[in-house]
Amino acid sequence: MTNSSQPVLQIRDYSLAYHVPAGPVPVLKGINLQIERGEILGLVGESGSGKSTLAGAVMRYLSGNAHENDGGIFLGDTDLRAQSQRAMSDIRGRRMSMVFQDPATSLNPTLCLGEQLAEVLIRHRGLSRAQAWREGEERLAHVGLKTPAEMMHRMPHEVSGGEKQRVVIATAFACNPELIIFDEPTTALDVITSRQILDLFAELQSETGVASLYISHDLALVSQTAGRVAVLEKGSIVEEGETGELFRNPVHSYTRALIDAVPRPERRLVQPLAAASATPLVTIRDVSVSYGRKSLLDSILRRDFQAVVGNRAITLDIRPGEVLGIVGESGSGKSTLAKAMTGLNRFDGLIEFDGRPVRGLADMNRDYRRDVQIIFQHPDASLNPRQKISEILARPIRLYGDRTDGPARDRIAAMLERVRLPASYIDRYPHQLSGGEKQRIAIARAFLSNPRLVICDEITSALDVSVQASVIELLMELHRDTGAAYVFITHDINLIRQIAHRIAVMYRGDLIEIVEADRIGDSDRAPYTQQLLAAVTSPAAALGG
Amino acid sequence: MSANYILKRIALIFYTLFIVSVLVFGITQILPADAAVMMLGENATQEALEALRQRMGLNDPVWMQYLHWAGGVLQGDFGTSLRTGQPVGPALFSALGTSLTLAGFALVFMLILAMPMGVIAAIRRGKPADLIVSFISYIGVSLPEFVTATLAVMLVADMWGLLPPAGYIPLSQDFWGGLERLILPVVVVSVMMIAHVSRMVRSELVDVMHTDYIRAARLKGLHPRRVLFRHGLRNALLPTITIVALDVGYLLGGVIVVEEIFSIPGIGRSLMSAIQNRDLPVIQAGVMIMAATYSIVNFAADLMYAWLDKRIQYD
Repeated sequence: MTNSSQPVLQIRDYSLAYHVPAGPVPVLKGINLQIERGEILGLVGESGSGKSTLAGAVMRYLSGNAHENDGGIFLGDTDLRAQSQRAMSDIRGRRMSMVFQDPATSLNPTLCLGEQLAEVLIRHRGLSRAQAWREGEERLAHVGLKTPAEMMHRMPHEVSGGEKQRVVIATAFACNPELIIFDEPTTALDVITSRQILDLFAELQSETGVASLYISHDLALVSQTAGRVAVLEKGSIVEEGETGELFRNPVHSYTRALIDAVPRPERRLVQPLAAASATPLVTIRDVSVSYGRKSLLDSILRRDFQAVVGNRAITLDIRPGEVLGIVGESGSGKSTLAKAMTGLNRFDGLIEFDGRPVRGLADMNRDYRRDVQIIFQHPDASLNPRQKISEILARPIRLYGDRTDGPARDRIAAMLERVRLPASYIDRYPHQLSGGEKQRIAIARAFLSNPRLVICDEITSALDVSVQASVIELLMELHRDTGAAYVFITHDINLIRQIAHRIAVMYRGDLIEIVEADRIGDSDRAPYTQQLLAAVTSPAAALGG
Repeated sequence: MSANYILKRIALIFYTLFIVSVLVFGITQILPADAAVMMLGENATQEALEALRQRMGLNDPVWMQYLHWAGGVLQGDFGTSLRTGQPVGPALFSALGTSLTLAGFALVFMLILAMPMGVIAAIRRGKPADLIVSFISYIGVSLPEFVTATLAVMLVADMWGLLPPAGYIPLSQDFWGGLERLILPVVVVSVMMIAHVSRMVRSELVDVMHTDYIRAARLKGLHPRRVLFRHGLRNALLPTITIVALDVGYLLGGVIVVEEIFSIPGIGRSLMSAIQNRDLPVIQAGVMIMAATYSIVNFAADLMYAWLDKRIQYD
């Protein structure tokens, strides 16, 4: 079928536009790409650059309003654009397959894992059900799952995210395809899990020699995975080249901007704390949070009740004006602690704020709520879609404002300027703003009450790298100007090393340790901290520091 | 799903029935009806009435009357009908059986039609087939059953003479004759439910077919039929179960009109005539039986839901 000199995937002068009532919106412009056998091509771009549309175009899975030019897409010598959907369903899963971003949503929740793997073998390799099941077990063993036979019968919700993604990968490799498209396969996973998935990918890739299109927004990660990289900006490939060369000597300004936006631990963005103040702003003593309640039957049968632990006796201090980073994988209790501090979770233990004891929601008076503000991960969920920006930002002023500060509208306008948004946004609705702009509104809302502690819960993880960089810059500026202390929760370890004074490492509800940011790489750190750091793709090495 | 959950649900059913029993007993106390007068007639002497009241415990405090009645119900004794003097239980349970036969056939008939209609409308979204299904659904929703029932009797039975216009024969007595008489009521009762259920299946399936796992199934190259039935429909049917369970309630209580028009001796009709005759024990028992059936059906729907979707952890 495919002779060795021919590229596995070849895209020639391919353009695509979506037709919407307002007219055609070009999404891909004159794309030229090819991937050889055994090669990994990294495709990098920010959201809206057309990465996923390109994947859809190759798989011939496009929405009805997509209009293509007469460019070519070839898999080996098969002209994919000439194939009917019926012919494509024969090619998909057999000659080319796909691994998706979030294994939690790409697996059917009501079918067991084995069936979702075996059905591909039955469809494309004509195996019987029993044969496919046996082969499926072998495949699962091959992707490093310890108990493959048992795993086949499990339901998706019964296994971890990493295990799910291994099943998806096993399915993609099941029919020894010529091409696999990886669409951000580790974005939804924890640092350590995604490191393991990447190792698995590298192993299978070199073993099978499959050609891979690796789509990601994470430059550091692509720099370590792909042999060649193409940079996609607004539907055009602005630069393409061998990975090391491209990252060392980026030619296009957009590539340079992307590389600059990648967080580098050695480039500190935060001002050092003045003199270490003797009295902490916040003292957290033995704060524990648990979820769940004793059930009726448990009480009747006098059974012991096992609550789910969110936080186990956390003790830490936050100094005035300090940026305290909290890192850990999902489920480690980072957000639980933030919620306890803002009264969204019940807790046992004691929080002292500025010397005043707080034991629960009842103790969080108006002053406390003004002084402690929280910013959430998804501005879409935390900004009321039916309120204008002026209404959203008027609330902190109404609740905590002084009459001497002047009219609310003036204060809002001034705050918009501080977060670098045009004054005209005051009468807009959240949906008229981009993701980064919405997060700036959420930041403005938090700072309008002149807080002394701002809790940032993963506030940049839904944003593109370049947007993240500008939001971080804004936060650091506000930190300098207001002197508020931050609790900055994130899973991005490179980022937190840039902006935190101290870093708290959490694992399954426990606080492992708190270290000075510049000492986190030391060799006498806790084993978990070292493991976490080792799993992180350090941009310094790959991006030529 | 835990044993704990099942126990809790059963306890909840009993609790619900307790509340219903208090309400229904309270309401029948307020009704302007004197059981003794009902039984002996307007012309009975004061002495005779007083003696009967004494014997029936009507002079006891209300709470004692309630306990007496509830105790009987727990032992399966629903009292005696004021009108016929017969025990209430057996008559009502036989009426319930009739209603459940009608409901069962209607349910099956409805599912056989509504599910394919919903599926076709979903996969042919915006195309003529979808519009036709929507049109039929809207007619079903907007026509009350007394209209459809009357139309059906007029056309099918009177004008064309295809089926008997009314009457009920237990299937155990004459299966084909009974079935023949059930066709019209079953169709009439199903019409409205077909509308509900087909629209529910349609909208759920449309949502499901846009999920990531359906995209993944398609990109695995699976046959479109397998994607639709194995991956799509199974997930789309879950919320439909809830709607069907609610419709069973409608089937039991809302079909009084249909039972009346087709002269089917179901529980709705029994309750209706009991209310007209102020036959208090029959009203109380009828409401209790319907409430119990309704609770049990909804409990069964929840169990089925959890069985189909293993993610659901009731606790």
